[in-house]
Amino acid sequence: MKDIAVPEAFPISIPERLPVRIEPCPIVEAIFEARFVGPESWVTLPGLFYAQVRDKYTEQKNLPLAQIPEEFRRRDPALQHLPLMQFLSKDFLIQLGPRVVSLVTKPNAYPGWLAIREELDWVVQRIKAAGFVGETERLGVRYVDFFESDVFSGLRLHLAVNDQPLLGAQTDVTTVLRRGSLAIRLRVTNGAIVGTAQGPKPGSVLDVDAWFGPPEADLFENGLVRFGEAHDTIKGLFFGLLKPELLATLHPAYV
Amino acid sequence: MTALMPPPPSSGYALVNDLREPAAVANIHRTAPDEWAREELLLAKLGARGWVRVHHFRNYYGPGWGEHVGPMLSPRALSAFFQFVDVFTFPCGVVPSVFFTDRGGIELCWEDESHKSVQIEFTRTAAEFYREATGEEGALAHGALQQLLLRLSS
Repeated sequence: MKDIAVPEAFPISIPERLPVRIEPCPIVEAIFEARFVGPESWVTLPGLFYAQVRDKYTEQKNLPLAQIPEEFRRRDPALQHLPLMQFLSKDFLIQLGPRVVSLVTKPNAYPGWLAIREELDWVVQRIKAAGFVGETERLGVRYVDFFESDVFSGLRLHLAVNDQPLLGAQTDVTTVLRRGSLAIRLRVTNGAIVGTAQGPKPGSVLDVDAWFGPPEADLFENGLVRFGEAHDTIKGLFFGLLKPELLATLHPAYV
Repeated sequence: MTALMPPPPSSGYALVNDLREPAAVANIHRTAPDEWAREELLLAKLGARGWVRVHHFRNYYGPGWGEHVGPMLSPRALSAFFQFVDVFTFPCGVVPSVFFTDRGGIELCWEDESHKSVQIEFTRTAAEFYREATGEEGALAHGALQQLLLRLSS
């Protein structure tokens, strides 16, 4: 297994100049997530948190995972960092679970980084006031982008067989990269179905999840800075992966 | 360890049938993203028993374990623990024991070449150590890893 080495240099060239706007915007959703450990059990968390956000996030709903008994959820590590509840406002939703809280953009309605940063600032203050985060386990940012075409032909990334790009086949590629203390999980698939206002659409997804672990991440000490760094890296990685032909279809604006 | 960990789901999209995860295979454990190196490190230095115990400490102990007051395992303590295990060379043939402490720390114990006990507890803020051979004990901040290594090897 020693041959699975982490590349020394970051393998994706990030352009020096990045667009400030693209149209059509391929972002399906963006998630800003804090994983944590804390002193409170799950039963008390929704009440503590809702008391802090109810003026703005007026609607709440349970997610399907909440129907699974806690004892079962605790036995499966894959379920431990998944949210059980959502709190909804006009522009965002907040997801809450026993060890996770995240701010999520509304599907296919990306409001822009400035609006997100402002909301993150508010949400982090509310989380701090709720007092259920004892220690940060991970701070992560995840962007999910959707393309109606087979995106592999437009990316500087492909799967090769006998040194020839494998194009046209249903493909799902996942890799984990490192950039400084940031870990990045990059997933590209041309076999995805995305819900849109016009109904479900088949196509490709570029799914990038970037996160800091301890000791670099502390939600209340440097959370906003870390979220910003992860956002900037994902943005650079996205444009670094796109071939000029695909970028041109997104009509990039630089000012 | 038989859990097959799927990638984190997203409400944003679903994979077509042919690309979905096949049914879990009982003997395959998939590491969480970016955890592969740590898992290999634990297996190499703490053995299968130590690897399973750390997995349990991380995942199966919620707030209030034990006498209803036990805190969850501190992520900072765990991070410092991994850094130490990565760089420290245990005596030949020695596999340390690992424990979850009642203040949310993680502790390593082993016998040195003179069959005397060595203990280190990694807490949220420090590494607290004791060497039976010299009677030395102390606490060092997580950033002082080199100093800790010196104290254990002198």
